[in-house]
Amino acid sequence: MINLENISFDHCIKCTVCTAYCPVSRVTGRFPGPKLAGPDTERLRKKNPELLDKSLIYCSNCKRCEVACPSDVNIADIIQAARCSYLENSFRIRDFVMSRTDMVGGMTTCFSSLTNCLLKNRLIKKVLELFIGLTAKRELPDYNKRSFRQWYGTVKARQHRFKEKAVYFHGCYVNYNDQALGRDVIKLLNAMNRGVIITDEKCCGVPLIANGYLEKAKVNAKFNIDSLKSAADNNGMRILSTSSTCMFALKHEYPGVLGIDNTSISGRLDYIMSYINRLFEQDDIPVLEAMNITAVYHSPCHLERLGGVIDTIEALRRIPGLNLKNLHSECCGISGTYGFKKEYYQISQEIGRELFLAINKIKPDIVITDCETCRWQIEMNTPFETVHPVTLLARALKKV
Amino acid sequence: MKYDCIIIGGGISGLTCGIKCAKEGMSCAVITAGMSALHFSSGSIDLLGYYPDNTIVHTPADVLNSFAVNKPDHPYAKCGPDIVMEALNFLREELSEQELELCSNGNNNHFHVTPVGTLKPTFLSQKSVFNENINQAFKKNTTISIINFKGYRDFNSDIAAVNLKKHRLFTDCTITSNSIDLQDLQGAVKEAIELRSIDISRIFDKDENLHEIAERLKRAAGDSEFIGVPAVAGLENHKTVYEQLVDLTEKIVYEIPTLPPSIPGMRIDRALKSRFSGLGGVLITGDRIIGGTIVNDQVTRVYTKHHQQEGMTARNVVLASGSFFSGGMVAEIGNIKEPIFGLLVDYPKQREEWRSQLFFQKPAHPFLSFGVRTDENLNPNVQNGPLVKNLFCAGAVLAGYNPISEGSGGGVAAGTGYYAALQAKKRCDDIRKGNE
Repeated sequence: MINLENISFDHCIKCTVCTAYCPVSRVTGRFPGPKLAGPDTERLRKKNPELLDKSLIYCSNCKRCEVACPSDVNIADIIQAARCSYLENSFRIRDFVMSRTDMVGGMTTCFSSLTNCLLKNRLIKKVLELFIGLTAKRELPDYNKRSFRQWYGTVKARQHRFKEKAVYFHGCYVNYNDQALGRDVIKLLNAMNRGVIITDEKCCGVPLIANGYLEKAKVNAKFNIDSLKSAADNNGMRILSTSSTCMFALKHEYPGVLGIDNTSISGRLDYIMSYINRLFEQDDIPVLEAMNITAVYHSPCHLERLGGVIDTIEALRRIPGLNLKNLHSECCGISGTYGFKKEYYQISQEIGRELFLAINKIKPDIVITDCETCRWQIEMNTPFETVHPVTLLARALKKV
Repeated sequence: MKYDCIIIGGGISGLTCGIKCAKEGMSCAVITAGMSALHFSSGSIDLLGYYPDNTIVHTPADVLNSFAVNKPDHPYAKCGPDIVMEALNFLREELSEQELELCSNGNNNHFHVTPVGTLKPTFLSQKSVFNENINQAFKKNTTISIINFKGYRDFNSDIAAVNLKKHRLFTDCTITSNSIDLQDLQGAVKEAIELRSIDISRIFDKDENLHEIAERLKRAAGDSEFIGVPAVAGLENHKTVYEQLVDLTEKIVYEIPTLPPSIPGMRIDRALKSRFSGLGGVLITGDRIIGGTIVNDQVTRVYTKHHQQEGMTARNVVLASGSFFSGGMVAEIGNIKEPIFGLLVDYPKQREEWRSQLFFQKPAHPFLSFGVRTDENLNPNVQNGPLVKNLFCAGAVLAGYNPISEGSGGGVAAGTGYYAALQAKKRCDDIRKGNE
């Protein structure tokens, strides 16, 4: 019998609007579009789970289909679950390594100077492409010498002295690749008289889901929910993330794709800009100095799905003198680990082409985007510095 | 978040309202859950197509003048005919700013051809659907070739040709049907399993393909003066694509709206959204309004799925959430409701009266006219409650008209959206004066 809870695909009226807005099927015929890969074939897969299609692997999980859907069908969730079943029994060294962002980060940080150097070597990149399918055309993110967590030890005591505090789920990226962003979070929130608490965490699970490791993702999800709950329960703290994708996983993919109950924390989760904008709205706003620059804002797909773009825009508008230009909403193409894989590299670049052209045409002083992988994609394809909105706000803080 | 006006719904009604508000200097946000009904529309804007006896209206504005007396509950009677015509002109001007030209047949209706080859009266159409050349050609005994694209399953040129020939205006025309193959021009997308309107429109959008497409169309059309194609001639670059096709084929090229996704509808959607954002309006996608607080006679706050805690506040709220299909109205067993605010809805209590016995019966199904009851300012009442003075209803959520049997959907959407913006502006001005 079909599980009644799981037939949201039946709300699909076959209008094909999702496919009209799919960035992947726009540039390649190998992906038949979300309607066909999602609700259409799900009906067949329910009857016979063996019916899985190779084309599923082309979905980049950008979720634009869900934003476009007039019937509120979680199209991408359906595709992700099917995609994981398809990938389930195959072992691919690249996907294994790429999906273990926390494990790999932990190891590379110890030898960061060496790995950063090696990963820039063209020969080594060629070897990686040849043997494991990691594209040599992409620049890989640098690893920090010290992790964010190690650095946090130096400011921990001070954070606990604040009366108001929030729990920060920093994610792998801030921990291993961009601790500067983590520091900006602390600088900004401290300036707003709030302490930043961190707790034990594992990778949010998005790269695991994208690479088909559903069981491992479930283990991480349970760990994170328990850990965040016990950390936030003191004083009913909010739980923040600077990554729109980590936040999307905590909020939606845990119940939606992994089937894991997150109600013990779901009411407390805030993408950081939503939290900050809410405080700004209550006139709880630090002194910001004028920044006479032109910035373009690129809204990441997952933040759109979270309905959070408005918070970032409204909060940035508080910076005096900032000439903020919002780009037409488009996928940058990288979609996490997707654009790093040899077979998707070309697709990923083709998807982002219009966006890069639009940015290059404006010639901004800076590009702002909430997502770490969008940031890599934009920095690689345009000559402009690209930062998280928190970083821009931290830079605007009045120097004391 | 605080705005002069929050608009719930991003279809013709909501976006027309948003653009007018933005041009009047108000801060405004449009919140839209999923893509609008424009994606299911012909892309032509109807004003008033049919009399109650189903005969065709020639000059809609003349009929509109009688609504104040004959149909006082009709949204057109509430806005008044002058505002409705002003709204349509406004819509035309704003779309032309985005290089999308809408044409009218003076003050009269014109016909557009449907995908099955029947004719429908409408008031404004894109240039590729109605223009002076097309109008002239339809008047004489012309030769028409309806051409489809191989692999495109949402249009059948044989059916369109046979049915068109049956119409009295076309009995003396020679109408042929043909098809051409464009799949080799698809580039990287050519292995696609399905070929939809959107895929073909992308072939047209590529500048380097146009000469070849025109050549093939010309060959397939033979001696015909007139080429009818499904409406897929470009989305992003439609204006240039259409002009080039006319030049290169040296024939009159005519677009026939297709099944969804509607490319002409998407052209309007894109143009309105760009215009709105360009004027400084805030467009919120990926979120949906789930409720609001009404205190006395005012909406004080609205809540979205992702902003449930703090919500948003606005001096005015416009409800342009659409009808049943868009979720603006919800039907349950024995009950029909407006789900966001729980507004007073007009409908017969007997469920049997909600629909006609046959699917394609005339007049159209009664449920299409169910909606929120408002006063002459478009203010609704809460169920068993007061009139809400800063909430305005616009478009398909309104009661008092049947868009299908009247052929009036687009006009009501644009007219009431525009009128709601004027009302919101007036309230903002009054508040400002009160403060001074």
